[in-house]
Amino acid sequence: MNLKRQLLLVSLLALMLPWAGCEFISGTESALRAGQQQMLSGTARAIADSLSRDREEFPEAAPPDFRFGEQLYGHPLDNAPLIDGYIDDWTISERALRDLPGVDGPTKFAIGLNEQHLYLFVSVRDDSVVYTPPGRIPRGDRPGFVDRVRLISSSPPYLEQTFTFAAEAPGAVVTWLEEGGNYAEEPTIRAYWQDVPGGYQLEARIPRRLLGTHLGLVVENTASDSDRAVPSPSFNSRSPGAFVTLSPELTELANELVQQDMRLIVTDASGWRIAVVGDVDTGGGLPEPGPPALLRLAYDAIVESGTEAIFAEPDPSGREQQSYIASALRGNESAAWFRSEDSGRAIVAVAEPVRAGDTTIGAVILQQGTEAILSLRTEGLSLLLTVTVVAMLVVGGALLGYATWLSRRIRALSIAAEGALEVESLRTALPSAGAGDELGDLSRSFSYVLSQLGDYNEYLRTLASKLSHELRTPLAIVTSSLDNLDHEDLDDTARGYTARAKDGADRLRRILAAMSEASRVEELVKNAEPETFDLSAVVASTVEAYRDVHTDREFELQTAGEKATVEGSPELLIQMLDKFVDNAVSFSADGDTLEIGVDVVEDKVELSVTNPGPPLPERMRGQLFDSMISVRPAKDDKHLGLGLYVAKIVAEGHGGSILADNTEGGVCFKVRLPRAQS
Amino acid sequence: MAKRIAIVEDEAAIRDNYAEAFRREGYAVDAFEARQPALEAFESRLPDLVVIDINLKDDVEGGFELCRELRVRSADLPIIFLTARDSEFDAVSGLRLGADDYLTKDISLPHLMARVAALFRRLDALNKPAGPENRIVRGDLEIDTDRMTITWKAQPVGLTLTEFWLVHAMARYPGHVKNRQQLMDAAQAVLDDNTITSHIKRIRRKFVELDSDFGSIETVYGMGYRWLAD
Repeated sequence: MNLKRQLLLVSLLALMLPWAGCEFISGTESALRAGQQQMLSGTARAIADSLSRDREEFPEAAPPDFRFGEQLYGHPLDNAPLIDGYIDDWTISERALRDLPGVDGPTKFAIGLNEQHLYLFVSVRDDSVVYTPPGRIPRGDRPGFVDRVRLISSSPPYLEQTFTFAAEAPGAVVTWLEEGGNYAEEPTIRAYWQDVPGGYQLEARIPRRLLGTHLGLVVENTASDSDRAVPSPSFNSRSPGAFVTLSPELTELANELVQQDMRLIVTDASGWRIAVVGDVDTGGGLPEPGPPALLRLAYDAIVESGTEAIFAEPDPSGREQQSYIASALRGNESAAWFRSEDSGRAIVAVAEPVRAGDTTIGAVILQQGTEAILSLRTEGLSLLLTVTVVAMLVVGGALLGYATWLSRRIRALSIAAEGALEVESLRTALPSAGAGDELGDLSRSFSYVLSQLGDYNEYLRTLASKLSHELRTPLAIVTSSLDNLDHEDLDDTARGYTARAKDGADRLRRILAAMSEASRVEELVKNAEPETFDLSAVVASTVEAYRDVHTDREFELQTAGEKATVEGSPELLIQMLDKFVDNAVSFSADGDTLEIGVDVVEDKVELSVTNPGPPLPERMRGQLFDSMISVRPAKDDKHLGLGLYVAKIVAEGHGGSILADNTEGGVCFKVRLPRAQS
Repeated sequence: MAKRIAIVEDEAAIRDNYAEAFRREGYAVDAFEARQPALEAFESRLPDLVVIDINLKDDVEGGFELCRELRVRSADLPIIFLTARDSEFDAVSGLRLGADDYLTKDISLPHLMARVAALFRRLDALNKPAGPENRIVRGDLEIDTDRMTITWKAQPVGLTLTEFWLVHAMARYPGHVKNRQQLMDAAQAVLDDNTITSHIKRIRRKFVELDSDFGSIETVYGMGYRWLAD
C-alpha cells in the first residue's frame, strides 16, 4: 500500500467529526426534550391543581367491583347522522366501536352525542334474525323469543328504564320503554333496523332527557322463537355503570387553561376522556416538504425513536389507555415521547394525576409538538452534514495533496540516489537536502553516504597508480639485486633460482605498469594535442594489424559511407580500441568473427566492437567501466580490470560516452564521440 | 683513469646495488643519500656523470633542484634521472632542466650500464673529429652514430639518448614499419605503449621546431612507426 492510500485511510478518521456531531446533536436533542418535558410537566401540574378545585365536574369513580367496559362512553358527533341503520355518516373512527361477545359472533356498538340527542349504533352478528310478530310487544319471554337490543338507563337510586328495540321487519322500528315491567311505545325515539349479510344493524336516536346518568346495553340473540334468547350485556353487575362523555364545563375550564399549540386531555379516574382541547400539529395530514431523504435517514439514525405519533392522539375508544396515562391514574406523573414516522415530527406528552385529597380523580394530559426542536435539529443536522462533508473533503484533499507531495519528494530522492550511483555524480546535492524535516535528514544522510562512497570510489580509482608507485622502489631493489647477483659466482641451482626470481619480478613490473597505465592515460588525454582525422581510416588500418596479431579470429569491419571525422588523439583512440579488441578476443572462441564498426549517427560517430560470447552479468553493468572491476574468472590474474577503465578515460576525455550491451549471443561495446567538422 | 659516477639516491639498497654494478664496470662511484652532502662533495670535484633520484627523502623535488644547480656549474655534465615516478609531467620537467635521460627504476642494470656507456661514448666522440664512415644520411637527415647526434637540414636536433636510438632505429631502414617491441629493444629500455607514443611525439616536436614542414615519421596505426623514404 503506498503512502497516498495509507494517508487516505488515515483521513477516514475525519469520520469522527460527524460522529461527534451526531453525539452532540443527540445530546442537545435529549436536553431540549427534557427541558420541554419539564416545562410541560409544570404546566400540567398547574392545570391539574386548578382542575382539582372543580372535583364535582369529574364523574364519580366507578365502584371497585365495576370492571372496565361496564361504563359506556358517548362520542361527540360533529353532525346529526341520518337514522338509516348505517354508521357511514358518524364522524367517529371505526376504532371507536366497542365489542360485545355474541352467540354468533362479536357485536359492535357505539354511542354518539349530538346536541340533545344520543345516538346508538349496534351491529349484531346473527345467523338467523328472529323478528317480532306484528303487534306483539317484544317482551323477550314466552311464548315467543325474539332478537332485540335493549338500552338500560338509570339514575341510581331511581328505578331503571329500558329502551327495547326489536323489529317486526327491517326498516324503522318502534321503541318500547319499559319501566317496572310496563311497556310503552316511546314515540320520540327514532330507530332503524337494517338487515345486513350475517346479521343486522340498528341505529337509534334518543333524546337525552329520557336518559339517566347510567347506561348499559344488552343485545339478546335467539336462534328461533322457541329458544331462550342469550343476552350479551355491556356490564356484568346488576346495574350498568355511569355513562361518560365530554364534560362541557371541564372543556370550558380547560379552554382557559390550555396554551396555543398544546393539547390538553382530561380523563376521569378510569381514563375516560372527559375533556379535550387544543391540538398538536403533527403535520400528519399534509405531505409537507420534510427534510431531504438523506437527512431523514441520518436523523433517524441519530435520534432515539419515540412511539408512533398516532398513539399520542386521543384514543378513539374514548378511554385513554397509553401506559403513561395509566401511570398517572395510579398517581404518578409521567411522560412519553411520540414521533411520526412519516413527518419526523415529534410530540412530547406528560400526564399528571388530578388529586382530591388522597384519591386520584382523574388525569391531565398535556401534549406539545417538538416542532421548534425539530427544526433546530434538522437545520443543525444539515449544517453539520454540510460542514462534515466539506471538512472531510478538505481533510481528505489536504492529506491526498500532502501524500502526493511527500511521495513525490521521496520518489525524487530515491530516483536521484539511484541516479547518483549510476552517473557517478556522487557529490551532487540530492532533492530535499535543504528541508528541515526527516526527509531532509534522509536526503542529507544519503548525500553523506554517497559522498563517502564517492571518496571510496576515488580512493579505488587512484589506488592502482598509488600502489604501483609505492611498489616500484622495492621492486627496483629486487631487480637490481638480482642483476647484481648475475655477476656473482653461482652454481646452476642458484642460477635457476635467480632466473625464476627475475621472471617473477618481471611479471610484477608488468602488473605495476598496467596499474599505472590509467593515470598515465589520463595525463595523456589531458595533454593531448587534438588533431582532426577520419576515424574510419585509422580503424581500418588498425584492423589490418589485428588480423596479423590475432590469427585465430576473423575480423569484420563496417565503416560509414561518409567521413567519420573526429577530433582527438588517434593513438589514444586506437589504444581504447585495443582494449575492446583484447576484451573481445578473450571472451570469444577460436574462429569467431569480431565485428568492428564505425558509424555516423547524426552528430555522433559511433565506434563499436561486437563479439560472440557469454553475456555480461546484469549486476556488473553499471560498474563495468570502473577501476579494477573485472568479469573475468578470478584465476585469470593477467587482467586487473583496468582495460575498460582506460577505455572509459579515453572515451570521456574525447567528450564521448561509453556503454556495454548484451546482443543476441554476444556482447557489444560502443563509444559515441562527437563528430567534428571536417 | 676511471670515470667517476655520482649516485644521489635516498634508498640505501638501490644506491648500493647501483654503486656495486658501476664499480663492477670499472667506474669510480660516489654515493650520496641527500642533496646537501652531494653538493658539498661536488664543490671540490665534479663527477663525470650523475645519476639522480628526484624524490630524496623529505626533499620531494630535491633531484630537480640538484640538477638545476649542477647545470649551472657545467653545461655538458651528463645527468640521468632515475626515478620511481613515471608521470609524463615529471619526465618533461626533468628533461627541460637539462637532464640527458630520464629513466624509471624499472630499467634493468644491464640496460642502465649500456646507457651510461653510451653517454660516455658520446662525450668522448664529441672531442674527436667526425669520421664519415660512421654517418647515416637519409635525405635531410644525418645521423652520427659515434657522437650519437642527429642533424636535420644541417641543424643539430637536441635528442636524448632514448630519442636518438628511436630515430636511429627507424631511419636505418626507411619505409619499414618498426613496431613497439623493436623500438623498445633499440632504445634499450622497457617502455610501454604510452611512453613510446610520448617519445615519438616529443621527437616530432623537436624536428618540427626546426622545420615546420617535417613529416617523415609516420604513425602506422595498430602497428608502429616508420621513417618515410624520400
